[in-house]
This record gives sequence, structure tokens and C-alpha cells, in this order.
Amino acid sequence: MLKISPDELKLVAQYIHDISGIYLDQSKSYLFETRLGSIASEHGCNTYKELYQKAKTEPSKIIERKIIDAISTNETLFFRDKGPFELLQHKLLPELIDARTPGSPALKTNLKIWSAASSTGQELYSIAIIIKEMLPNISKYSIKLLGTDISDGAVAQASRGKYNKFEMERGLPGDKLQRYFTMFGDSWTIKDEIRAMVQFRKLNLMLPFAGLGKFDIIFCRNVAIYFTLPDRQKLFNKIADSLADDGYLIIGSTESLTGICPRFIPKRHLRSIFYQKK
Amino acid sequence: MRNMTILVVDDDPVIRRMLEKRLEKEGYEVLIAEDGYQARKILPQQHIDVVLTDLMMPGSIGGIEVLDIAKSISPNIEVILITAHSSVDTAVEAMKKGAADYLEKPINFDELFLRLEKIANVQSIMRNALDLSQAMDTTESAAALTIQNLEIRTAELQSRIESIESILRDEQNPPYERIYKVLDLLEQTDPTRYPK
Repeated sequence: MLKISPDELKLVAQYIHDISGIYLDQSKSYLFETRLGSIASEHGCNTYKELYQKAKTEPSKIIERKIIDAISTNETLFFRDKGPFELLQHKLLPELIDARTPGSPALKTNLKIWSAASSTGQELYSIAIIIKEMLPNISKYSIKLLGTDISDGAVAQASRGKYNKFEMERGLPGDKLQRYFTMFGDSWTIKDEIRAMVQFRKLNLMLPFAGLGKFDIIFCRNVAIYFTLPDRQKLFNKIADSLADDGYLIIGSTESLTGICPRFIPKRHLRSIFYQKK
Repeated sequence: MRNMTILVVDDDPVIRRMLEKRLEKEGYEVLIAEDGYQARKILPQQHIDVVLTDLMMPGSIGGIEVLDIAKSISPNIEVILITAHSSVDTAVEAMKKGAADYLEKPINFDELFLRLEKIANVQSIMRNALDLSQAMDTTESAAALTIQNLEIRTAELQSRIESIESILRDEQNPPYERIYKVLDLLEQTDPTRYPK
């Protein structure tokens, strides 16, 4: 494995922060080496400085994309941590549907949900499965489920909706597995009825959220932990701008907004916490 | 002892016996089924890591059906099919349905042991990953509870500070009245600190 020098660490850490907002601890040089070493050798770079220069100047941005894929963490599961999904099913969705159902039965109920760091898609597909099971008359609703991630690789896999058995291992109850997935060889593919409910695209959370509009529910779980405090403050401020006034924000179960965004107040439901705008 | 249980399914008693002996010698735990029907009985009752099954067997439960039964019980059960050269196409179809591998007759035992070794390695990595993720879940849920409590408590305290501030800044009231109001508020909102 190609070794990284202290000077290169500084350079590369700054570069990664610039392109992704992700802050990597410079004391963990092995993290840089294990994740970027193979990209360096693949592109014939003998040092990380060379890789950095190539990535920065190369017009197609292929190396930059590979670096983002390599450093962004894709640890995610179907129904990862039951709390938020129970919260969604038993409180947030019923309340929103009450609030959003128009007086005239001819009109559809609009709902917009955003998985802001959708990784390989498991969270958004889990949300889609819950909605599918909750709303038998789904044609009466106009539901937009958007997943965004900074990694092209993750977005591509999410769009395919195809997972190997390691990715299926935990979280998904057997009946849902049988009902919503098709097995092919050692992999599982989400069925079209669920696939058609969602949409994935690339988005860097550090950049402006142009054209996304306002959402009723935003999931932003376990992504801000990779950002510095000022970047977290900016992120949640933008999220507050993108959330409907009576909308809900769900963050990771071990995350906190204290000292990060005073526009949100935490509320408790059973064993879960969600946030609403003040 | 290799810590892996293998179910051998074959209607040929000679092959069955040979597989049983060789696998046991290698240290595997071996269970035997004389045909697909027996395999269907044994599979749900025993913990099995690998099924080694003949593709063609008499009756309506052949190797492919054994594969389906095993995978419906647990996707983690790996299935290796034993085929005659002429039925390789069927074996490839079986791979698409989730079979781990296939072996052509006559069985090359070195090849078989290598594949079993590979399966054992993958399964031990899977187990390890599962242990780690369970440990992570436990830590995470404990941390989550602590953080939730702190988060709610902090928000309550924050809103109290805001009320206190607005009382203290209210110039309609004389200073001593503001102080009494603040003390009242503190008493109401924190009974543990100001027991009656």
C-alpha cells in the first residue's frame, strides 16, 4: 500500500473537504491509504500528491468521482434502526396525511419526502415500502420520494435497486423480502412497484439545494457526522429552508442539533426524536 | 472439527457413502439424505451450512427443488450441485437461482474441499460482521437514549432561559416584581430543584 506523507495528508484532506464537505481526521493516515491507495496505483500515480494534482486538473472528473465514492461511507441497511420507521408509520405520515388531504376528493394529497444522504438506497426503499403498505389507495396521492447522495457509485446502485446478500443480511423482515424483492443468483432486486415510487440523483450537500423545493419530511441521518461544526450549521440551516413549516426532520439516533441549528426544536415520540421548525 | 454441517443428498448409495467418509475425514459434520424427499424433511429440522446434492434424482424433488427448499429456509444455506457432464446447462441455470457452485461427476475431491473451504471462509466473515454490527447496534441504541434525553432536556432549559429573559426585560414591571416572577417560574418548572 502506497504510504502517505504528512504534507500529502494535509493537502488531500483539504481537497476532500473542498469537493465533498467530508472532514477526515488527519491522524488516521491508514484511512487515506486504504481508501485512496488503489485509485492512485490504478491511475499510475507514485505519490498522493500526484493523484491530487491529476484529480484536480483532469477535465472529466473521473478521478474526483472515484475519490468521492471511496471516501463516502455506504454503511446502510433496510429499516436501519427501527425507531425512525415506526415514527414515520405511526405518527408522521398519519399526521401529515390529515393535514395535507384537500377538501375536495377530486384533488390528490401531495407528499414530498427526501432522503438527503440516500447512500445505496435502502432508507428510501424502506420508506417506500412503508407507504405502499400504509396506503392501499395510493392513486389518491401524489407522492414524491427523492434520494440524493454525493457518490455517483451509490446513486447508481440505489437506482438499480440490486443488493447482494451481505447488504440484505439484517433489518429486512422475511415477509417483506419475499414480497418486495426478486432473487436472482446471489442478489436481490427491488420490485418495479417499489422502484417506480422513488427517484435518486447526485447532490453535494455543501452546495446550494437549487430547485429541490420544499419537503414534508426530510431524513438526514448519519451524514453530518462527517462534517465540521460550521459545515453542519450551514447544512441544517439549508435543510430548515427546504422543510415545510409543519414538516418533520429526522436525524441519526446518536446525532444532536444542540448548538447547531436553533431553528429546530426536538420532540419526542415513544423512543424516537424528531425535529420541527420553531 | 471444521464447524460446518453438510447435508449430502444423493440416491446412489455408493456415492453417498464415499462423500460421507471423505467429508467426515476432513472434519465436517455430515448428514445424509437418500433423496429429495428426505432432504425436504431434514432441512427445516437441522442447522445446515452447506447442501451437497445430486442434480438428477428419482421422484419430483431433484437438485433444483432441493436448492429452492434450502434457500427458502435460509438464504445463508449454500448449495453445491453434483451433475453429470451432460447436464451442465441445468447446473448453470441453478447458479442463477442461487446455487453456490456445481461439480461435475466423477467428483474431484480436492476441488470439492477447496470450494467448501471458500464457503467456510465467507461464512466466518459473515458471522464476524454480524457480531460486529450487533455490538454496534447495542452501543448505538444506548448512546441514542442518552443523547435523546440530553437533547430534550437542553431544549427545555433553552426555552426556560428565553422565558426568563423576556420577564427580566419587561420594563412594564418594577425590577423586584420581575425577580419574583422569575423565581415563580423556576419553582413551577423545576420541582426537583425547588421542592415544596
